[in-house]
Amino acid sequence: MSLIIDNVSFSYGDRPILSGLSLEVPTGTTTAVVAPSGSGKSTLLRIIAGLITPSTGSIILDGKNLSLVPTHLRSIGMVFQDNQLFPHLNVYDNVMFGLRMARTEKTIAANRCRDLLDLVGLSQAAKQSVATLSGGESKRVALARALAPSPRLLLLDEPLTGLDSELHDRLAHDLQRILHATSTTALLVTHSLPEAEIISDSLRRLPTAVDSV
Amino acid sequence: MVGHRLEMKIRNVRIFAIPAAILVFVTAVFPLIVLATSVIDRADIFSIWTKSPVQRALVFSLWQALLSTAFTIFLGVIATWYLSRYQFFGRRTFIALVTVPFVLPTVAVGAAFIAVLPKALHHSTLAIVLAHIFFNISIVVRTVGPRWNSIDDQLIDSARTLGASPLQTWRHVIMPLGKNAVFSATALTFFMSFTSYGIITILGGPGLATLDIEIYRRAVQLGDLSGATVLAIAQMLLIAIAFLLWSRSRSTELIAFRVQAVSHRRLSLAPKCFFLALAAFFTVPLLALVAASMRTSHSWSLSGWKVFLGIQNQRGIDFNMWQAIQTSGKYALIASCIALPTGIAAAYALSNRRSSQSRLSALVILPLAISPVVIGLAILITYDFQPFDFRSSWLLIPVVHAAIALPFVMRSALPVVDGIPNDLRSAASTLGAGPWRRLFTVELPLLKPAISTGLAFSMAMSLGEFGATSFLTRRESRTIPIIIAGLFGKAGEIPRTTGMVASLVLIVLTAMIVVTIDRKSHI
Repeated sequence: MSLIIDNVSFSYGDRPILSGLSLEVPTGTTTAVVAPSGSGKSTLLRIIAGLITPSTGSIILDGKNLSLVPTHLRSIGMVFQDNQLFPHLNVYDNVMFGLRMARTEKTIAANRCRDLLDLVGLSQAAKQSVATLSGGESKRVALARALAPSPRLLLLDEPLTGLDSELHDRLAHDLQRILHATSTTALLVTHSLPEAEIISDSLRRLPTAVDSV
Repeated sequence: MVGHRLEMKIRNVRIFAIPAAILVFVTAVFPLIVLATSVIDRADIFSIWTKSPVQRALVFSLWQALLSTAFTIFLGVIATWYLSRYQFFGRRTFIALVTVPFVLPTVAVGAAFIAVLPKALHHSTLAIVLAHIFFNISIVVRTVGPRWNSIDDQLIDSARTLGASPLQTWRHVIMPLGKNAVFSATALTFFMSFTSYGIITILGGPGLATLDIEIYRRAVQLGDLSGATVLAIAQMLLIAIAFLLWSRSRSTELIAFRVQAVSHRRLSLAPKCFFLALAAFFTVPLLALVAASMRTSHSWSLSGWKVFLGIQNQRGIDFNMWQAIQTSGKYALIASCIALPTGIAAAYALSNRRSSQSRLSALVILPLAISPVVIGLAILITYDFQPFDFRSSWLLIPVVHAAIALPFVMRSALPVVDGIPNDLRSAASTLGAGPWRRLFTVELPLLKPAISTGLAFSMAMSLGEFGATSFLTRRESRTIPIIIAGLFGKAGEIPRTTGMVASLVLIVLTAMIVVTIDRKSHI
């Protein structure tokens, strides 16, 4: 059981972004896709999450074709490049969001939320407004929030961009530890090879239409 | 030394609010004090409420305002969502279509609804509520639109990846993020419907009088100034509550939103139908007005136009159309010349407001919290005696119009003024520009959107102002709205048709001014 990306293509108007991409992410492992900016990495993640529809090809998760499944029913979590924390909710409620959507029983949800905040080292900041967080803290909250509803697959879109180098390295190791601790199946896209090497179990360079031009 | 100079600058900026404060003091604060202290007979404070026309007016004001607000917010929120988040054919036109009615003359819009509705509904709650929706949807679009417009698409995507269904995304992300703005829009819509006067003058009737109509009836027709004043003050207190809620939020800036930030999502069938229906709702009354201006009950006829243009005489109709247009135009120009510099200066005093400035802000917005009818009544009483006998001065009306437009001018200028970075001024200084050159080469060009929006607002508001003007008008200098109301008050076909013509002319005039002056900064 795993994620299978089968012959996926996508273009914006006449401009091809992805053409005939196939890739497999085995369950419980982290795969990294390394490619330069503008090569369609984010597009790939958005297709997998169901935020955009590919022109051809299919996404198969645990043996099920997801083509007709809307985003919110896919159980695919995503950490966005710029975090996208909800500005009207505090740290705790941001992490709780997915559990609330799934109508998880209150005490179970609260425990899960607390465990995840522990895991990312932010238990102290639970009641804080997300506007007061540093770049690194925001990343951790975004990660905890995406992990909270126990997604079958986690997508990480350049999760460590915009951090200074010391923080970057520390978070990369943390991320690797957390993904392992939670045995999450994850797909990471990044432009940085060293980052991919730290976090992921296997590597893949993205053969894009843009690359081949 | 530097700190000291900076402190001086900050203090100086407050001086800019003085002209606005004087205008508000002269047209609202002082007359209201005089009104409250001079004419009230103490017995009336309680006894007035036992009179059945007053009770009926109070109940009807509340009831129709609640109904109007509920429908306006419901339809407005849906329209705003699609206008602020989706790209579709005719979107720009639609924004203009939805936002222009707010500045259209109330009596003329009342006439348009008379033109479109069947006779049985001419004087009905339904007609009143429909006209209020027509007016006030623009409040929702203008206050909530910019807020929703600024939500990052990816924030909504992240809610979806966390398992939120479209409905849950609405409930847990979109509504909370627009909550304050929706709240403000609700308060302002309620206020506008509650103090509706021009619309009710045309579409109201027996049993359909609001508090404002009752105030006018008591003051002018019954000569009961004391009773009218008690009602006016009670109404002010009630509105003050709604108003406080409104002004607390900063998302009340009456600006149109940007086009470029809209995502490229396409509309599905249901919202397309919704917009078609809404487009019809906004255009059909105006088209019906065009038709009604050329009809008497049985046949097509240009009598209305002929009477309006003075080509045909009609017994009982005695106005000179050219004079009315001249009067309205003159008042609008003078009102703008006063409101524009005063309002923009006040915006400077209030930009990046600190705590002491919110009091100032409350003062400048005061005219908005008082219904124009009450302002008219207060001024009528205050400036009718020595030493303040300005009643006969023709300047009085445009000055009052300026005060009524002031809060809108200021509110629309505020975000523009706030948006001019201080560093830009400093940069101009370091490049050798003195204060005057900075004003003409940096400040004014950047203020252009505020100037055009403010000008459009103040001209349109003056052209359509009816509440205060109805108290202050003089026979020889009637404005177009006063003439329209007079025509609809008369019995007979010809006065009515002439009223339709005058309404059409006024609407076209106002819309032309708003669209030409404000086109660039609006959409």
